[in-house]
Amino acid sequence: MILEARDIRKLYGAYVALDGVSLSIREGEFVSIIGPNGAGKSTLINVLTGVLQPSAGSVRFKGKDIGGIGTVALTRLGMARSFQLVQVFAELTVLETLQAAVISRLGRGARLFASLAGDRQVQAEALEIASLFGLSDKAHALARELPQGDKKLLDVASAFALRPEIILLDEPTSGVSTADKHAIMEILVGAAKRIGLRAIIQVEHDMDIVFGYSDRIIALHQGKVLADATPAQIQADARVVDMVVGRRRH
Amino acid sequence: MRTPVVLSLVGIAFLGLPLLAPAYYVTLMLPFMAYGVVLLGLNLLFGYTGLVSFGHALFIGIGAYTGAVLTTHLGVRHMELILPAAALAAAVVAAPVGALCVRYVKIYFGMLTLAFGMVFYTFLLKFYKLTGGDEGMRMLRPDLLGSEWTTFSKTAYLIGPYYYFSLAVLVVATLLMWRIVRSPFGLCLKTIRDNPLKAESLGVSVPRYRWYAFMISAVYAAVGGALLATPTGNVDPTLAYWTHSGNIVFMVLLGGFSSFFGPLLGAFVFIFLQDTVMSVFPYWRLIFGAVLAFIVIFAPGGLMGLFARRRRPVEVSRA
Amino acid sequence: MTANLVNILMGGVFHAAILFLVAAGLQVVFGVQRIFNLACGSFYALGAYTGVSAVGYFTGHGGPPALFIIPLALGGLAVGLVGAVVERSLLRFVYDRDETFQLLLTFSLVLMLEDLIRMTWGTAPVSTGGLYLTYGQARILGATVPVYNLIVIAASLAIAVGIGWLLTRTAFGRIIRASADNREMAEALGVDMRWVYVRVFTLGTMLGTLGGALVIPATAAMSEMGIELIVEAFAVVVIGGLGSMRGAFVGALVVGILRSVAISVYPELEMLLIYLIVIAVLIWRPRGLFGAVAA
Repeated sequence: MILEARDIRKLYGAYVALDGVSLSIREGEFVSIIGPNGAGKSTLINVLTGVLQPSAGSVRFKGKDIGGIGTVALTRLGMARSFQLVQVFAELTVLETLQAAVISRLGRGARLFASLAGDRQVQAEALEIASLFGLSDKAHALARELPQGDKKLLDVASAFALRPEIILLDEPTSGVSTADKHAIMEILVGAAKRIGLRAIIQVEHDMDIVFGYSDRIIALHQGKVLADATPAQIQADARVVDMVVGRRRH
Repeated sequence: MRTPVVLSLVGIAFLGLPLLAPAYYVTLMLPFMAYGVVLLGLNLLFGYTGLVSFGHALFIGIGAYTGAVLTTHLGVRHMELILPAAALAAAVVAAPVGALCVRYVKIYFGMLTLAFGMVFYTFLLKFYKLTGGDEGMRMLRPDLLGSEWTTFSKTAYLIGPYYYFSLAVLVVATLLMWRIVRSPFGLCLKTIRDNPLKAESLGVSVPRYRWYAFMISAVYAAVGGALLATPTGNVDPTLAYWTHSGNIVFMVLLGGFSSFFGPLLGAFVFIFLQDTVMSVFPYWRLIFGAVLAFIVIFAPGGLMGLFARRRRPVEVSRA
Repeated sequence: MTANLVNILMGGVFHAAILFLVAAGLQVVFGVQRIFNLACGSFYALGAYTGVSAVGYFTGHGGPPALFIIPLALGGLAVGLVGAVVERSLLRFVYDRDETFQLLLTFSLVLMLEDLIRMTWGTAPVSTGGLYLTYGQARILGATVPVYNLIVIAASLAIAVGIGWLLTRTAFGRIIRASADNREMAEALGVDMRWVYVRVFTLGTMLGTLGGALVIPATAAMSEMGIELIVEAFAVVVIGGLGSMRGAFVGALVVGILRSVAISVYPELEMLLIYLIVIAVLIWRPRGLFGAVAA
């Protein structure tokens, strides 16, 4: 068990965002978290990635309590994430973005006088990730000039460049045209195998993507886990279908 | 690439200037070089880390007063000791001040730095027994390379040994900053500038790196401040006033904050333009205010932004 | 003893009354346009100099000294209309820019106004001379307080009430508060922001110039008054909270009275104490007493 959340409760004043959520992610799994807006997905992600301290319950990554330890510390432990609203460095090139991630991973960020251009290891790793994500020919393009799909890829690629053990993708295909969605997912899964990712968690709304790639689906509803099962079981679960499609008719 | 050619020409011009140009213009190069050092540091904070300080003159003041105190009260005359002392004094102050200020961004960072700058100004002004109050303190002519240069008149000293000493300091400061911005650290600063949230998600500790940048820029400002004080021979509290901080930000913007050499160009143009304007028209602030407004509205990339054929500055790894 | 205290207090409240006007101008502009106007001190100075000239013209043309406060106030208010010119010709180009550039644009105004004032009025201080005591002095609890001060305090209070009424009871006030809360929403509801911005900025400027004009009889107009006042005004809005009118009121009282106390007890401290409080506030409660914007 790599990541384990036990009975997570999160309150904002009187508002209960998460009401006793428990889940566990095991080696080699691709888990999707689904649920309507307001179900508590964002809060759950922030708790799982150490940004928020749960009001009750615990989150453990590789056995270590990570409640509220913050993004930077969590990255050091081996968990990375990408963002729903794509986050890039506007004035940096694709390659520079990846280099930054590699530098951070190698702990070379405090090297004030070393030459970045001369650091072969950083250069090589950055190029490798770029090619895994099909961004090699755009290596010197500025992030702000990339089309939306490539920006998404870059956001994810830079997280992968940290060579994390587990990655949390927040709506990796949102804002991307349907035609490109599968292309992105294929690249993602391929890269995950290449860098030896131990598990992937994604939050997704697109059910084709969810059912196409998940080993397990966790359905969140009003702060609680409604269902936690394989895609086949989920498809057969009327409550989940209702939640996804909308209110039960009559 | 054009840059080495341009730099070489500029280098030759700088080296030959005292021999060819009238003394007046050579002495004008001295504040340019001092501000050049200050601005290289300020731009690390502004252009590369995205933080605008409205109190950076605090550190210019620290450097200047360090020089004054050392020469006048402590009998230390070696510039080779004064500059490191100024750097150390700045680092000592910048560590706690910076640690506090970098936890805030944008307007709050600007306000906090402004407040600290004015605290120092008020201290310099009011505690006149220690600081000389509004009359300030004298800074005696420092020894360069161990020599007092007693055979040199004041002007000859300034356009001779002091000029080349300042030039050497500027060159060293520039080379050091060049290494810093092209280093892994420099890249991390740029990630913080562009997207602190994403930078954190990549494991970059945003407050810590901002703090480093703050301290480096403070050290540069103090070294520049000590260089600035020598030609006038006097330091006073206005060095730390908030409008002085505003003016140096203006200089960076004028030259171009997205470019490595922009700040140096900005210092040069500001000093010489100010001198030119003042010789015909006493109200240079009116002209400069208009220039600043123009730059902010129409040319935010400054002079380097206008010159650059590519939109990217010359820096970091490009094929 | 009491006389001393009353003197300190009244001096502080008078200064607070002036500070409030300038700070209120700052707050209303920040609240709606999210611009921290570094030039508010410069407008204050502009109002001061204009006030002196207006009074000089008035008395020079046979106006009775007892009415000097009218040309003073009118002069101060009238020159505030320059705010509309500044907004339309400069400020409106940077609304979509980064805060830094907006700040720098207001700094360019500081530079330009400083020299424009020098060009128009020279560098020597100017004042309204003895007109300060035209209304005599009052004895309050053993202390002697110029009636002029009381008039200004009353006027400032009236304006504070007026602003409160404007913000809560008029359509314009509602639009100001809506725009301050949520600019895009206000626009979507049909508010023409250009119209709002120019009026808000002019209002802000006029409050500043009026403040400058009203302080003149008590001191003199000097070339540094603008760049010196901005740091006090800045202290007021930090302590009171950026964007809050109540904050401007309370902050002005705090700064005005503290400064008065400091000057009489330990002059070296004066502004030092204020700045230290500003730093403390920025660290422990960045949004000040009444502000809504967090760090």
